[in-house]
Amino acid sequence: MKAKHQRLILVIVALAALIGAGLLAASALKDEAAYFYAPNDVRTKGVEPGKAIRLGGMVVKGSIKRASDGVTIHFDVTDGKATVPASFKGITPDLFREGSGVVAEGAFDKSGIFQATNLLAKHDERYMPRELQGMKYDEKTHKMKADR
Amino acid sequence: MNQWAFVVGAYALTFFATGLISALSWRAMRVSEGRARQVADRS
Amino acid sequence: MHRFANPARFLQIARPLTGWLFWSGLLLLLIGSGCGLFLTPADYLQGDTVRILYIHVPAAWLGMAGWSGIAIAALMQLVWRHPLAAVAGRAIAVPGALFTAICLLTGSIWGRPTWGTWWEWDGRMTSMLVLFFLYLGYIALAHASARQGSGGVSPVAAIFGLVGAVNIPIINRSVVWWNSLHQGPSITLRGSSIDTTLLWPLGLTLLGFTLLFGGIVLMRMRAILAHNKIEARMQRLARG
Repeated sequence: MKAKHQRLILVIVALAALIGAGLLAASALKDEAAYFYAPNDVRTKGVEPGKAIRLGGMVVKGSIKRASDGVTIHFDVTDGKATVPASFKGITPDLFREGSGVVAEGAFDKSGIFQATNLLAKHDERYMPRELQGMKYDEKTHKMKADR
Repeated sequence: MNQWAFVVGAYALTFFATGLISALSWRAMRVSEGRARQVADRS
Repeated sequence: MHRFANPARFLQIARPLTGWLFWSGLLLLLIGSGCGLFLTPADYLQGDTVRILYIHVPAAWLGMAGWSGIAIAALMQLVWRHPLAAVAGRAIAVPGALFTAICLLTGSIWGRPTWGTWWEWDGRMTSMLVLFFLYLGYIALAHASARQGSGGVSPVAAIFGLVGAVNIPIINRSVVWWNSLHQGPSITLRGSSIDTTLLWPLGLTLLGFTLLFGGIVLMRMRAILAHNKIEARMQRLARG
């Protein structure tokens, strides 16, 4: 075997081992590296009240309600599997709206309501002009189609 | 919040940095190649 | 492959190619940016800030493609002892780091009006920041080997370049594996979830920035090769 081939095999074996180790480590970090809890994670794993976490999901359509003091809002966060009630006092980001993504920082209170101290808006991977707003996105064809 | 302020800021930063690296790389190439020619002529 | 290993033959191709790559890239990216700034409609949700996409995505691509280039060059250097590969790796390092920084900074500027934050430690942002630090480490190693007199990078730097490539698939998958603030991939093998009216200038800026990057890398390779020539000549003269 030529020295060149020996070097090639050595490098490939070393690289495969390294990439394997890296990917293993990354997937082992799956839970720790998660930036936020989804409502379903909260339900299955359980988060004790008072523990500071981030809660992420979609703001349920029609769930935003403004309290009588004018600055506190109540809304529901869902990931399609579970829904969690949340409340926040303060100015919401521009992109915080119903049917859109949100990441809330805060903690659950004893009654199971998530008390958010900070809200971040999360948007999905869709980009489209305003004229197409209200049209449905077709997962299969990746095209917009009119809502009927 | 004015959205265009963010857009202009991002573009200005990108063009400035791209222009800078282009100019520096171009100059480094010209200087090195010029000196290489000089050295080759001398001997 | 070894046909291009000869620096003289490489330079014959690289000399005319440098200008072509650079100027056509600059033209394309200026046209693409102009279209992205003034011709495309605003996004339904984000409004005009979506225009940062046309520079943020090419910068991210170049940051990752740059390190892939370093890793391929390292492989060719270590296995085939390709003399130009070591030079290529060193030439890619600084522009690669710069575009990674541009990606991080434009992302930060984009994050403030859309997400409501300049920076969050989510998977995508953290892994991209790690890439930037990898570049800094590689530049330091390449700098040290250059001072020891070789024109390219040392085998140690090349091994570092190979090992660091592990981070590239992690960056790519970070938004899929982990819950992240950064949205998932818009452009996949199945198509694009960016509407065509918003998408087309991205093709121009992507190609433009890539050609320009190629031009810059060629400039830096030519500078290193010329420098090597001077060093070799000086050593010969010193020996008499």
